[in-house]
Amino acid sequence: MNLPKIHSISKKILVGALGAFLSFFLLFHASANLLILRPDGGEWYNAFCHFMGTYVIVKILEIGLFGALLLHAVLAIWLAITNKMARPKGYHKPQRSKTHAGSKLQVWTGILIFVCLIMHFTDFYFVKIGWVKGKYMVQTEELMKVKATQPEAVSYAEQKGELSAKGTWLANFDKEDKVALEAAGLEVEPDFYHQAREKFKILHIVISYLVFFVVVWFHLRHGFAAIFQTFGLYNYKYGKAIEVLGQIYTWVVCLMFTAVVLLVYFGL
Amino acid sequence: MNFTLHIWRQECAHAKGHFETYQIDNISPDCSFLEMLDILNDQLITRSTLNSQLSTTLNSQLSTLNSPITHPVCFDNDCREGICGMCGLYINGRPHGNDDGITTCQLHMRKFHDGDDIWIEPWRAKPFPVIRDLVVDRSALDKIIQAGGYISTTTGGVPDANTIPIPKQDADMAMDAASCIGCGACVAACKNASAMLFVGAKVSHLALLPQGKVEAAERAKKMVCKMDELGFGSCTNTYACEAECPKLIKRQNISRLNRQWIEALFGRDGK
Repeated sequence: MNLPKIHSISKKILVGALGAFLSFFLLFHASANLLILRPDGGEWYNAFCHFMGTYVIVKILEIGLFGALLLHAVLAIWLAITNKMARPKGYHKPQRSKTHAGSKLQVWTGILIFVCLIMHFTDFYFVKIGWVKGKYMVQTEELMKVKATQPEAVSYAEQKGELSAKGTWLANFDKEDKVALEAAGLEVEPDFYHQAREKFKILHIVISYLVFFVVVWFHLRHGFAAIFQTFGLYNYKYGKAIEVLGQIYTWVVCLMFTAVVLLVYFGL
Repeated sequence: MNFTLHIWRQECAHAKGHFETYQIDNISPDCSFLEMLDILNDQLITRSTLNSQLSTTLNSQLSTLNSPITHPVCFDNDCREGICGMCGLYINGRPHGNDDGITTCQLHMRKFHDGDDIWIEPWRAKPFPVIRDLVVDRSALDKIIQAGGYISTTTGGVPDANTIPIPKQDADMAMDAASCIGCGACVAACKNASAMLFVGAKVSHLALLPQGKVEAAERAKKMVCKMDELGFGSCTNTYACEAECPKLIKRQNISRLNRQWIEALFGRDGK
């Protein structure tokens, strides 16, 4: 059986469409991260994480997001391999054409992003699926429900946990606390607010994330305008505007991510 | 001015190539790059003639067997005024050398520094096989044109000017796209050896005008399919092609090609 042939431009269109979806997600992610800066003991941020972790449509979108990420990478690598084959013998002198580094290194920044994502997932997402230990929280509402039957567990939780501003969450539990609370029949969720605040106090993690954001900047700096170009929307009339919009989008997204990490590190 | 030239030498398409180094002295700064190569070739011919006379005299033909290639350096050229698209050399990491908006024949030695090392290579791409030395077979670009880069309808005689009104902006964009001389610098510059700027320009200059608009999407489809079939890489929006195009053709032409490809896939022409 012959696989359907995908022409070069069609492959690019697919990569671009997936890239557009991922770029939009980045803005959403960066905006949500700003909630970490609220001095409310994780009231808002943890409520947001609770919504993201429990709402069915979001869970379906999460699968779509991982699928898009994987397909974007696979198609980009496929393109890179076929493109490499188009020039079996390279030049002796390295190319000196005036092009932006981000566009020349797009595949490499993409691979670096993948490496950085493993670090990011280890810090956060893998905590959610239970592969690594982190910080945990329980809803005070849940706690009240079992107060009559499990008074010891509730008093243990109240003693060890930190209450959020409006008292919705009792958070900042460790792995051992999680085991004890789960044994008492409580529904324990990852506490990404305290997890992030703890991680972003460690210098080498902060530096790693700053490097990550620089790589994302390079990738997005090229990717944003490239999406418009691939869809045939980059024309004489709007070309400059697209470039400017791309720069603004890239800077805004990367600065939002950076601000959270740096402000938490400096205790603001 | 004096230069050390490192030139790619290759006897034929199937031979293994290598760089050979030549010293060339007393070159005028006003000399064009191709004239400088002519001077080098004159020197090589003179040296070769002297060597062969000497070899005959000494009856030592064997000694020439291991000597470097002695024939003049082969390179493409024709009009030498930047309009035919025949010349094309990869000079010190840039197609057509260290200047913007020029062909190799328009490059002058004053653009280099006295004593410079100059590396001269042929265009490198799978669809552009080396024929000899710096000469490559660029007929792949002709094959793309043959695949659909024309108007297939019979349009009759030449109409009077202004019979068909065409907006000035469209006429200008079509003219800019039509200035592509098919030199292949876009392919040579692209890290993926993609011919998208060439195809984009050829598609655009027809698609922007009424006679060519009718078949625009179908034309784009045929030309892109041919481009893929010939082994050119795909565009990853690096725009090295735009930076190196001697006719300063813009990336917007690639965008228009993409748009017409989408139209061909989903629009009326995609049937």
